[in-house]
Amino acid sequence: MARIRSKSVFITGLWRENPVFRQILGICSALAVTNLLINTLIMGLSLIFVVTMSNMTVSILRNITPTRIRMMVQTLIIASYVIIVDITLKAYLPDISVALGPYVGLIITNCIIMGRCEAFARNNSLWPSFLDGIGSGCGYAVILLTVAFFRELMGFGSLFGVQVMSVGWTNWVIMVMAPGAFFMLGVVIWVVRSFGAREEEAEIKR
Amino acid sequence: MEGPREECMIKKRLFSVIYMFILTFFFTAVVTGIHKLNRERITINEEIKLQRIILKVLGVQVPPEITALRIRQMFKQRVKVEEREGRTLYRGFTEDRKALIGYAFPLFGPGFWGPIYGIMAIDPKMESVLGIAFYRHNETPGLGGRITEEWFERQFAGKRLIPRGKERKYFSLVPPGMAQVDNELDAITGATGTSRGVERLVNESLRDYLPWIAGDNVEGRIDGGLHEG
Repeated sequence: MARIRSKSVFITGLWRENPVFRQILGICSALAVTNLLINTLIMGLSLIFVVTMSNMTVSILRNITPTRIRMMVQTLIIASYVIIVDITLKAYLPDISVALGPYVGLIITNCIIMGRCEAFARNNSLWPSFLDGIGSGCGYAVILLTVAFFRELMGFGSLFGVQVMSVGWTNWVIMVMAPGAFFMLGVVIWVVRSFGAREEEAEIKR
Repeated sequence: MEGPREECMIKKRLFSVIYMFILTFFFTAVVTGIHKLNRERITINEEIKLQRIILKVLGVQVPPEITALRIRQMFKQRVKVEEREGRTLYRGFTEDRKALIGYAFPLFGPGFWGPIYGIMAIDPKMESVLGIAFYRHNETPGLGGRITEEWFERQFAGKRLIPRGKERKYFSLVPPGMAQVDNELDAITGATGTSRGVERLVNESLRDYLPWIAGDNVEGRIDGGLHEG
């Protein structure tokens, strides 16, 4: 019983209630950091770390945190983890830290994290909260990586910095710029939702 | 009737305050600890970043895939740092360390949103610019932020250092396509504030540093700086 529930918690975050294409959260960073796969990967991993750790911490403290000040507590917890990520990137991956610029710090205000803390972690025990965090974080990362895959491929002709397109390939400049992210994200949401719609119909029929 | 209830409320509030205090204390301590553990590493990273930029503006070829350690070695070998009277001067030398290739000095001043930091390099005769680079700023990405783009920085390279006009300006940033004189460069469209800031900080730094470096030259304290004779 518990097993099935755990799996469904993870899948819900990853797909059924995916933060990016279902809830349209975290769009700001989704547009900003998806021009290169390596940046996107680091951003995705950072977010997975922050959302999972925050969820777990909020969950551990859920029975002693006074309800009135819970938002303040959540912000404190999230901000601490974000600063830890920021320091770690600056120390060990300085180039990527520069490329991600303010967006690492802005994870603090990423609606996905506070959303998960509020909606899930403060009412659930540690293990489901952990899964929920991982699920939502991965849901975010997967969509961003999909967008980045096409943006880097068409904008730079490379994947993870390795040239894959032939010499005659003309780079699509628009894919490098922010509007390219808008188009790509729109297409991704359209495509996955079209599949989602079919799934929903199938479920209704059942 | 009222007594115990009120007491309970006060206790709850007091608990909230103490709880928040302890939690804040705990997280602040953890973050501070992690910061302390990594501070040295971060400082070194920033130092290397600056060293790479100084080498670049001095015209020293730095391969992009070079390791951090190699940059430090290269910097140590090719650049002599001098800090005096609140100013910093970087002297670049040729690979055999015999001849001077140029001087580099920091640029600093207000931009539109915040301070702009840069480095400028000039030739040993102090007649023209070798290169310029801006490396830290808070300007709008895509507008003022374009000061770090190559086309903008490259405009300065090779330009002669001659003060012109009443204001003794070395450089003027004018709307793109309007440049007529050698020292007029393209400003950034849509970023007038940033362009003005850059113009001001470049001119002020030059007015400040050129006589200071020249003073050194006259006294003959700089080897390789006197090429005129």
